[in-house]
Amino acid sequence: MVVFITMGVEEFGQPILKGNFLTRKIGKVSWIASVFVAILLISMMGSARSEEADSTRAFLISKKTTDLLDSHCYDCHDGDTQKGDIRLDNLADLENPKRLDLLNRMQEQLYFKHMPPKRKKQPSEEERKAILAVLSAELGVHGASTLEGKLEKPEFGNYVDHEKLFSGDYADLPGFTNDRRWLISEYIFNAKFQRLLENRTQGKRKGERLTVFGGSKIRDLSLTNPFLLPNVSGVRYYANEDLTGGHLSSMLTNAQKTSQYITGYLVKRNSKYLPAINEIMALDDQHEATLSSRRAFLKNFIARLCSELYGSRHQSFLPAFAPVELKSVKELAEGEKYKKAPFHVAQNMLKGLEGDATVYQFLLEPQHEGKPDEEFRELCERTWFYFGDHERKIQGRMTILRDYLPDIRENLIKNRRKFKPLVYKPLDEAEMQIIRASIKRHRKKGDHYGALIERCVTEWEDGFEKERIAAGPPSDDLLSTLIEQLSVQILERSPDAGEADQYLALSKSYVSKLGKLKAIQKLIQTFILSSEFVYRQEFGAGEADEHGRRLLSPRDASYAITYALTDQSPDEELVKAVADGKLKTREDYRREVLRILAKRDRHYLIDPILADKNYQENTTNAAIRKLRFIREFFGYPAAITIFKDEKRFGGDRLGNATSRLLSETDRTVEHILENDQNVFEELLTTEKFFVYHDGDNERMQAASDRIKRIFDHFKDLDWQNFKKEDLLDHKEFLKEVKMRSVDPDKLDARNRQGNTIQLFKKSMETITARLNKGQKAAAPYDLYRGYGNDFMNGYNVSKFFNFRMDNWNYETIQPAKVAHRKGLLTHPAWLIAHAQNTETDPVHRGKWVREKLLAGTIPNIPITVDAVIPEDHDKTLRDRLAGATETKYCWKCHEHMNPLGYPFESYDDFGRFRLEESLEYPNKLIKKSPDKGQLLIDTRDVYETHPVNSKGYLKGTGEESLDGEVKDAIDLAERLGKSRRVRQSMIRHAFRYFMGRNEFLSDSKTLIEAEQAYLKNGGSFDAVIVSLLTSDSFIYRKSIEN
Amino acid sequence: MTSRRDFLRTSALGGGAMALAPSFNQLFAASSGAGVPKRFIFIRKSSGIRPLEMALRDFSAKDKALDEKKEPLQVDLAKHELPKWLRGLDAHKEHMTILQGLSAKMSENVHYSFSSVMGCFKSNRNTLSAIKRATIDFELAKLFPSPFGHVELSFAGGRTGIVSGYSASAPQTRNYCYADPDTARSELFKSVLNPEAVNSDNDMLSFLQSKEGRKIGGIKGPEKRRQETHLESIEAIRERNKKLIAISGSLAKHLPELAPVHANGGANASTPEKQAAMTDVLISALKAGLTNVVTYTIDDLGTPITGLPGNETDRVGIHPLGHDEAFGGVPAWKTREQIRISHVNQINTIVEELKQTPEGSGTMFDNTMIMYFPENGETHHGVGKESPFLIMAGNNCNLDIAGRYIRLPYLGNEGHKTLGNWYTTLLNAHGNPMEHYGDLDLEMARKKLDQTGSIKLFMA
Repeated sequence: MVVFITMGVEEFGQPILKGNFLTRKIGKVSWIASVFVAILLISMMGSARSEEADSTRAFLISKKTTDLLDSHCYDCHDGDTQKGDIRLDNLADLENPKRLDLLNRMQEQLYFKHMPPKRKKQPSEEERKAILAVLSAELGVHGASTLEGKLEKPEFGNYVDHEKLFSGDYADLPGFTNDRRWLISEYIFNAKFQRLLENRTQGKRKGERLTVFGGSKIRDLSLTNPFLLPNVSGVRYYANEDLTGGHLSSMLTNAQKTSQYITGYLVKRNSKYLPAINEIMALDDQHEATLSSRRAFLKNFIARLCSELYGSRHQSFLPAFAPVELKSVKELAEGEKYKKAPFHVAQNMLKGLEGDATVYQFLLEPQHEGKPDEEFRELCERTWFYFGDHERKIQGRMTILRDYLPDIRENLIKNRRKFKPLVYKPLDEAEMQIIRASIKRHRKKGDHYGALIERCVTEWEDGFEKERIAAGPPSDDLLSTLIEQLSVQILERSPDAGEADQYLALSKSYVSKLGKLKAIQKLIQTFILSSEFVYRQEFGAGEADEHGRRLLSPRDASYAITYALTDQSPDEELVKAVADGKLKTREDYRREVLRILAKRDRHYLIDPILADKNYQENTTNAAIRKLRFIREFFGYPAAITIFKDEKRFGGDRLGNATSRLLSETDRTVEHILENDQNVFEELLTTEKFFVYHDGDNERMQAASDRIKRIFDHFKDLDWQNFKKEDLLDHKEFLKEVKMRSVDPDKLDARNRQGNTIQLFKKSMETITARLNKGQKAAAPYDLYRGYGNDFMNGYNVSKFFNFRMDNWNYETIQPAKVAHRKGLLTHPAWLIAHAQNTETDPVHRGKWVREKLLAGTIPNIPITVDAVIPEDHDKTLRDRLAGATETKYCWKCHEHMNPLGYPFESYDDFGRFRLEESLEYPNKLIKKSPDKGQLLIDTRDVYETHPVNSKGYLKGTGEESLDGEVKDAIDLAERLGKSRRVRQSMIRHAFRYFMGRNEFLSDSKTLIEAEQAYLKNGGSFDAVIVSLLTSDSFIYRKSIEN
Repeated sequence: MTSRRDFLRTSALGGGAMALAPSFNQLFAASSGAGVPKRFIFIRKSSGIRPLEMALRDFSAKDKALDEKKEPLQVDLAKHELPKWLRGLDAHKEHMTILQGLSAKMSENVHYSFSSVMGCFKSNRNTLSAIKRATIDFELAKLFPSPFGHVELSFAGGRTGIVSGYSASAPQTRNYCYADPDTARSELFKSVLNPEAVNSDNDMLSFLQSKEGRKIGGIKGPEKRRQETHLESIEAIRERNKKLIAISGSLAKHLPELAPVHANGGANASTPEKQAAMTDVLISALKAGLTNVVTYTIDDLGTPITGLPGNETDRVGIHPLGHDEAFGGVPAWKTREQIRISHVNQINTIVEELKQTPEGSGTMFDNTMIMYFPENGETHHGVGKESPFLIMAGNNCNLDIAGRYIRLPYLGNEGHKTLGNWYTTLLNAHGNPMEHYGDLDLEMARKKLDQTGSIKLFMA
């Protein structure tokens, strides 16, 4: 018997290997050809092997397989040696779970060609395939193979042979993607709920406020995002994730909260929002409004109304006044200190006790305002008592009045305009008649007003409820309208007839069991929990071509295109294109992709984490997923997650600096993408960066000029000895240029940093330091460091670039050249993101270059290896690392990483350029610096140093002229920027990002055309995107048999 | 028109619409465990605990000197008198540990730490994106699954209803908590008090199951498998709801009774009344087996405090007290002490109640750890150099700490331990072999001092 195993490094089509290998059908025999991991003769298995899957039968290995294992494996993995604690000569004796685990590990090692080790004799391709086939078959019987799942992951994408992909030999294979659903991303989740709940996010662009798309916040609603993407460098969002119980549980809570938010807030704020809800709830809402109005009126005016109704008898109905007891204030023990809580605290307490309104209203009334304290307090207490407020509440209020009444009176005098007297305004006469009648019916002697009001309200509520029962449940038509509106609002489409009927039946059931409001909420939840809400649909429709492929259905295509470029649902033009039948050809796709790429009237928040840190300027007006690809590919956003030490940074406010660094890396990338010429080369070799600059040269120039003007104005004066009055001599100047917190009209003003003259001097100190060494311009940050809003946060971002705070020759026109920097790999954001907390990280930096730029593969670290770099107070990190990894066993993997990571040793773990590496050990300390950060002082301790060795070695570009020894990171970046393989590797990653899957040989044509598009268009990344999104791999879908 | 404030108020009180407790949902994946579980109660307090407040008054001169110099020491509590505010626990000294010297600089401090004190990360003033990992309580809850998985109770901010909490079940996820005893009771015992709410969820899930099930016919291959997974997920939630209803009989016998003053959020209940009622609900939830892990924010700087001895008729604020600003003629330190005593009273009630409840061959307390600690370190404006812990643990505690006053080496010294080490110890001792929980301390890192892993001294 012959079994075909449809799996291999050189896979042609999509992974179709779920379940049992032995029972799988193969779609096209021609695919199998020579490159499928191929043929297994059953004779290789033991004679007991059954054709039927039988997970209970004994595990037997044929002699041929045993011979192969003996030739290539047992040397190191038999009973005697057991290298890495692995023994393969007793597989048949192991319990199933252990054996299957071992077989999976064997399969992986053989498949990725990690075993046998390179220095050992290698099996032939046929032999390797034969062993793999045995392993696959056995694992398949038990449904236990883990390899297929791994192959779907982005980190395994490079195992498809790079040369073959771009050789052209496979360009005639028809490209396609499987019919699939793709779980929404964390960003789409946010966008969906923001759209559903009509939430607007505020951002900034060049100092201007604007509404942006993106961000994770919804006003007054906190949702749990169950679709967070992994926090890794590289492509993060793939179509291989399933919706699990965990997702669903979180969505259940989200749906409940959203339904309450819609019915309790949104529909009441906006009558056009899901109007059927207000229509269904109209009578309830009307009753609620009436009750609310009556209750509010009575709360304010019940005493007056009762007095009018009962005249002289009114007092006799009131309960007998019983004042509360207050705890007496004890005298302090000798030596005991007492600091009374300040008035604002008491004021808030009174408010919390709901007593402030009464107190201030009485104080606003002329007849009460002048009453002596004692009399006034009793007035308040009687009012609260007659209303029936709880004794404890009254006690709390009265304690505050006892201790703070003079302060309250003073507060009223100071802020009188803030307090409005309550003016009696009766409701309309019909309402007043109802209220009067009700009071007369319910008032009894000794009643507190509160109890009387409650009895009246209860009576009215009962009446209203009867009215609602009599009105009956909502009509089918109204419920159907609601279903239509909810479907459009939540699923962005009308329900079909069948669905509408099902939802109607469900709605009626909900109404009968739960009542109207809860039924509506439950219906909203039901829509949100539909799989359609959390999965993107990508299915082919129409006639299949000769390869069995169908074009994406127009509606699915509209989502596929918009989600490729943004997180938002299709815009109006896309929706119209679907409706008009204009999303059915490759040209249609091209038109829409080009349109969205050219669009600049939408702004997007780039990074919600930066927005959380008040970096609202982190926005772009280009399609967000284009920039996000570069972010994720380079992985520099991780810089913000690496916990770093401010002392080693050299000063405080490191968080601000890192946030700005990240935001300005985005700006640099955006600048390159906007130019759209030689994009990959520019990303790797640009010499122009933004450092404390928002991209608006005019604004930055003006802000910097202001500081220069201040310096020029005062530099020759004895400002160090100014008295505050001296500032008046410069009043006109100060009024014109404005120094922060230095207002010549308010010389006595002060804040937590000091008074006006102190703040003036603080500002002058920093200005002077920034301009008295011949600097051509000063960075435009505010003039002293203080609380509140700076012109732009994060001025100490300069430290990452080796600019001293007291001697920074600021470039007002940016992006601008920065010494010792070339490309993103020398940018501090990338360097920090690929560093440890207190050290650099040559291994991971090298791994990144190998995998992301050279399309190489590095095996996972063996579990037997304890990857720790030993401490040695006399060696640099590089030397210590070399000692640990350049042994024979480790070097087989590390030779692919370390030489690519060493060049970055020119920068420390904060990304600062260096020629010497500090040996940061107590016994190497030369000078201790202050621990507390100050603006112009570097807090870094000084240690003995060793020279940095930044030499490395580049191998794997496929071009002799580029491979070879590199002297440092800049040399490396220049070579990488010239490499064709690097360009192709970036295109492969772009493919994965936009397709949501790994590439296969059947995508060869797509990749080749994307590269050609890039080259023909002068290195345009937009051209790559258009090429990918109009490729067969994107537009064609194919269904997969079971 | 409904204002935002109205909405927030009504939705907070409208807990009846929440068919399942939010934190229950977060631990969906947890399956029911076998055997007697371990229980953990984290009690967070605000405004710091000053290390001196925990120090023993009758230290020997030598120990006093060590303690003041913050050098390591261990003392048998049985031979000493507890500080006045801790004396409510005198009867349980053999189960008590006073743990000094842990640092918490990797979490946020000053006034508030939000999620970070239990997650060992900087919380960026409580932004969601800053939540780096599941907090320690959720990590422990995964080890000892229960129907609710994890319960968070809170008096933070004087809020009521179901509101956002400080624990986190996963990165960038905020838990929800019950902010008054009445809500906690009605939500935790919903299947007894309001089975209709649970049933209405099942109606919806049944509809979804049927609707999603119909899609199976039209799809193939991996998508079919994906849809099957989806259906299994729905079914699992239905099963979970069924279980809740099934155990409602046994829940009923543990249903706590609350005084009328706690109705509708209990606006007029005094602080001791509120605390006692919340503690009752907490104990009932444990006894009923609804959860094995409770996080209880007993106050924060916004919690209004009333009815304390000495300030019986005052409403006092914890924030002003932290600044030594006082109320009702009572010096701030005395009121602060009364607040701590009120906390100790709750701990004592929990210990006593659980000690009286048989379990296995002992009592429920044998399998319980209570940790009482400041959310923000060593003072009102803590910086995290110290984070004192009071621990009450039963006879079956997996750690060797009972009956001792333990001071660990101070921050920046060899052998110093951080909150991360402490939480790693809890995890390692209860079956999670994690190498280290939480962010590292940068001062320890700068000094190249070892700071990862569990506290070996405590591992039994």
